[in-house]
Amino acid sequence: MTGSDDINSRKAASGWGTQTVPDPWEAGLRKVAQGGDRAEFRKIFDHFAPLIKAFLMKGMSAYADRSMAEEMTQEVMLKVWNKAASFNSGKASVNTWIFTIARNTRIDFIRRNERADRSIDIEDIWHEADSPEPLVDLQQRRVEAVIRNALSTLPEEQALVLEKAFIDSKSHNEIAEELDLPLGTVKSRIRLALNKLQILIDR
Amino acid sequence: MISYHPDSRFLTDFAAANLPLSEAVCVSAHLEFCGKCRAHVQQLADIGGHMLSRLQPQEVEKTSFERLMSRIGSGDGAQQAVADAILPTPSVAASEPVVAVEESSRASAAGVFLPRALRRLSAGGLHNLSWVQLGNALRVAPVRISGDVRETAIYDIKAGGRMPEHEHRGEEITVLLKGSFSDAEGSYNRGDFVVRNAGEAHQPMATQDTDCICLVSLEKPVRPRAWFYRLLEPYVQYRLQKTLEQNTAF
Repeated sequence: MTGSDDINSRKAASGWGTQTVPDPWEAGLRKVAQGGDRAEFRKIFDHFAPLIKAFLMKGMSAYADRSMAEEMTQEVMLKVWNKAASFNSGKASVNTWIFTIARNTRIDFIRRNERADRSIDIEDIWHEADSPEPLVDLQQRRVEAVIRNALSTLPEEQALVLEKAFIDSKSHNEIAEELDLPLGTVKSRIRLALNKLQILIDR
Repeated sequence: MISYHPDSRFLTDFAAANLPLSEAVCVSAHLEFCGKCRAHVQQLADIGGHMLSRLQPQEVEKTSFERLMSRIGSGDGAQQAVADAILPTPSVAASEPVVAVEESSRASAAGVFLPRALRRLSAGGLHNLSWVQLGNALRVAPVRISGDVRETAIYDIKAGGRMPEHEHRGEEITVLLKGSFSDAEGSYNRGDFVVRNAGEAHQPMATQDTDCICLVSLEKPVRPRAWFYRLLEPYVQYRLQKTLEQNTAF
């Protein structure tokens, strides 16, 4: 893929490439994209499918049972195979990329379940954003290492609200209701956590 | 220059896909204009990625991989991968919002940049939507996003046009797609994501030189202040409802 080659050469030129931890799944996924490498895909499957199933069982407990989670895990992994060529290592790690595919599959399923019409496509809303500026890419990779390290040092109450948001699929309002907290408290806990992860949103 | 952005609540709920669709469409529209917020959403998705990787794995069925590979083997293999990597080509290049070519006729707003999420619905152009004309300065194209209780619409305010002063009964999100408008609080330009809350009243006015086109998501219908418009309201609601049906007819 020329896109990611560009980004890799920029990374090398700026000397930042060495500061990021190599993504253990990137090379394998590229082999899947280029040659349909089934052995590499098997490794990716063995690692990620049980995680995706866990994610779907937690985030969709109101909609899907274990066997449905199994079916949807298949859907997610099918998309991983089909979309492997669109993976851009300059934008996201394989972890993050697979999370976004699982997240979109989950919300698509909920919409189908609600018999919503299909005039709006989920992939048009939560699309893989068009390539951000190179500088953003580099900062992106740096912050990702910070997120990985800082996530385990968060105070429990902050880690809990993030987990409710990203894994249990709860909005700020739903978290406030569930934990019986004012909305403002949930918002400030998430903001404090994001600041520690160096995700500095102005508002 | 974009000055108004979604706050951490909108961006987090968006990145975790916990935002109702009408609001998600608005955030998504803003992201198409704003590289900074795109980067934030990507960082927030990284939280999801790391949390995914730390979950207690749930064993998949023994035959799961073989079953998947037989599905892949039966027709959609590597060829499919290439086809899927190429997103459906939108009518307007997605990476760079395109400013509308100024047209003398208001009816021809085909060149206006539309958020990706709404291109399918409008079949590529604003002129394909059904509009309700409300007074001289404003026309509205209500858009149905099913499964969502909020009202979503595209507003087209004529250059220099003034909207009736109105009060919000719930939250209102406005994303400017073209032109600019101002109210007592400030002035807003293309790409801005503006939130008004219940109880706030304002009277937006489009700038003199160009029409203003906005994507609007309302938690509850607004209430016009003037008695004249209040009398008209049921009629307006009726017409919006009829038009809404036309904008979902496919």
